[in-house]
Amino acid sequence: MDLPAEEEQPLYSQRPEWADVVPLEQYESVAPLAPIFYTDEYRDATNYFRGIVKSDEMSPRVLELTENIIRQNPGHYSAWQYRYKTLMALKSPLDDELQLMDELAIKHLKTYQVWHHRRLLVQQTRNPGPELEFIANSLQVDTKNYHTWSYRQWILAYFNDDALWSHELDFVEKMLESDVRNNSAWHHRFFVVFQSGVRNGDEDRDAVVRRELAFVKERIAIAPNNASAWNYLRGVLDHAKMPYCELQAFVLPYSLPQPPLDTPPEVVDLESPLPSKDAQLPCVAAVEFMADIHEAAGGGDLVKATELWKSLANEHDTIRKRYWEFRIAESLKTKSAGDG
Amino acid sequence: MSSSLLVPQHVAYIAALGDSKHELSYHLSAHLRMNAVYWGLTALLIMGHGDALDRDEMIDFVMSCWDEEAGAFSAHPDHDAHLLSTLSAIQILLMQDALNRVDVDRVVKFILSLQQPSGVFAGDAFGETDTRFSYCAVNALSLLGKLDELDVEKTVAYIRRCRNFDGGFGHVAGAESHASQVFVCVAALAILDRLDEVDQPTLCWWLSERQLPNGGLNGRPEKLEDVCYSFWVLSALAILNKLAWIDSSKLEAFILSAQDTESGGIADRPGDMPDVFHTIFGLAGLSLLGYPALVDLDPVYCMPASIIENLGLRKGWKALQRRTS
Repeated sequence: MDLPAEEEQPLYSQRPEWADVVPLEQYESVAPLAPIFYTDEYRDATNYFRGIVKSDEMSPRVLELTENIIRQNPGHYSAWQYRYKTLMALKSPLDDELQLMDELAIKHLKTYQVWHHRRLLVQQTRNPGPELEFIANSLQVDTKNYHTWSYRQWILAYFNDDALWSHELDFVEKMLESDVRNNSAWHHRFFVVFQSGVRNGDEDRDAVVRRELAFVKERIAIAPNNASAWNYLRGVLDHAKMPYCELQAFVLPYSLPQPPLDTPPEVVDLESPLPSKDAQLPCVAAVEFMADIHEAAGGGDLVKATELWKSLANEHDTIRKRYWEFRIAESLKTKSAGDG
Repeated sequence: MSSSLLVPQHVAYIAALGDSKHELSYHLSAHLRMNAVYWGLTALLIMGHGDALDRDEMIDFVMSCWDEEAGAFSAHPDHDAHLLSTLSAIQILLMQDALNRVDVDRVVKFILSLQQPSGVFAGDAFGETDTRFSYCAVNALSLLGKLDELDVEKTVAYIRRCRNFDGGFGHVAGAESHASQVFVCVAALAILDRLDEVDQPTLCWWLSERQLPNGGLNGRPEKLEDVCYSFWVLSALAILNKLAWIDSSKLEAFILSAQDTESGGIADRPGDMPDVFHTIFGLAGLSLLGYPALVDLDPVYCMPASIIENLGLRKGWKALQRRTS
């Protein structure tokens, strides 16, 4: 049995209810570098869009038309702009609009306008809770989408409601459980913990720092070769103005080629979780970290730092050989300055 | 696969971009058309073939995008004025030696009107804000010789708020560090002589960490390599005089392997379809790496270095020395 053919929408030029609008063609005399060609559908829709813009019409059929254009071309920012103006003029139910946007966002996650339009809508609806849920769902589809994470940060900061903030650490933890190397999630955690003010319950900043160090150390133990986690660790230490040498006991095992042999498995040092059995060692970031510790100590330790940098340049991170050689050269400068 | 730069193919590819009448994707990207013309022209100039596209037709196209109401340029004749297209228009006219066609006072007014109380710039009246737009504003004003009309402190203060714990910059305050945002923030700061706002050791390390074992660069940790980062990352490093920290022969090999040997043009990575965006940024990367027979590029403005020098706008950046073969 044949299925009925999909119903095609007639062009606007063929619809009697649009007969009163004067469609305007694309500007004709443009250079060959920008020739005019449209599919009939897109040409027709944008011709009618130009027509209603010229007459300043803001009506329900304009919503239909702009939706049509946006579906064909989410990058058409003038259509978005005009749609928003029309929604405001008509006092349209914005929750319905958000639902429509939910559908479009999944298809066009990498388009700025999709997120910016939501931002404008939510500033009107003043209902951020469902937005966080929507964001979480869309992050299941594209876990590192830059716009999505940025939009989440905007919602949190704009509404600044403790109840909304309170779920974020759990949210980040879940995202990192799926992918401990998700840089966006790590960045978001830093934003929530250290860059968005102090909320109730987090007034003891030392406790917060200890909690975060424990968190990142655990994750490094699970998967040591994870630049995001090491960047986070450094970020926390820098923020708390803690010297890197305080982490020496934790970092050392990660900078060695083999896991320590003599550790009884039942002893778990919470302060210094060890690398998991299948970790690839030595971990480049750990070697770098140890070198930084030795460099900061100065004096005789500079030799140890140089040895570590040489191992990176020649063996463990050869693609950045020039960088490691730079570090060696710089420390020699410091040394000779100190010796003078 | 090719291990050398296929200049004639790329010139032909760009020259033919206007012939894509059969491609739906061509008109769906109308909102990028002005940018695309800038990318195409700059790519041709880097290869020393600036005359492959008709100068008068290009100038006519740019002027057809003048939005008389807004006093600025749109991306395409029927679109609204935008900061991105206004910058590209200015750059195109400058490269075509036709900057006198610009109504400078109106454009400056348009640009300045987009600065928000926080110091960031919006792209247009729609209100999307992004440090990309701060860069467009600073770049355009400097090319027009009107930087003294900018509230520099306010502009820099916002960029400072976009600096993250890893030394990088995001698109708005609080956003994750991303190589393209690092470029626009560092380049804007360079134009404003405010590179003191950059945590150079941390950022340069973060930038060199973008290089993956296959030689390509990514935009943030644990993401895929993409040819366009050959420009975003490299230009930031060039501006901060640390270009040597990238393994240049591996990166060159990566860029060259992303060329489309049949149609010309460069793709985001080997095997994918080419486009003019990745073509310009692959070429820009190669120029900064000293690839033979390419024209010097100014990484701050992403335009031929000689043009920027003649305007007295050259900053203290360093590219790799051009090889003779």
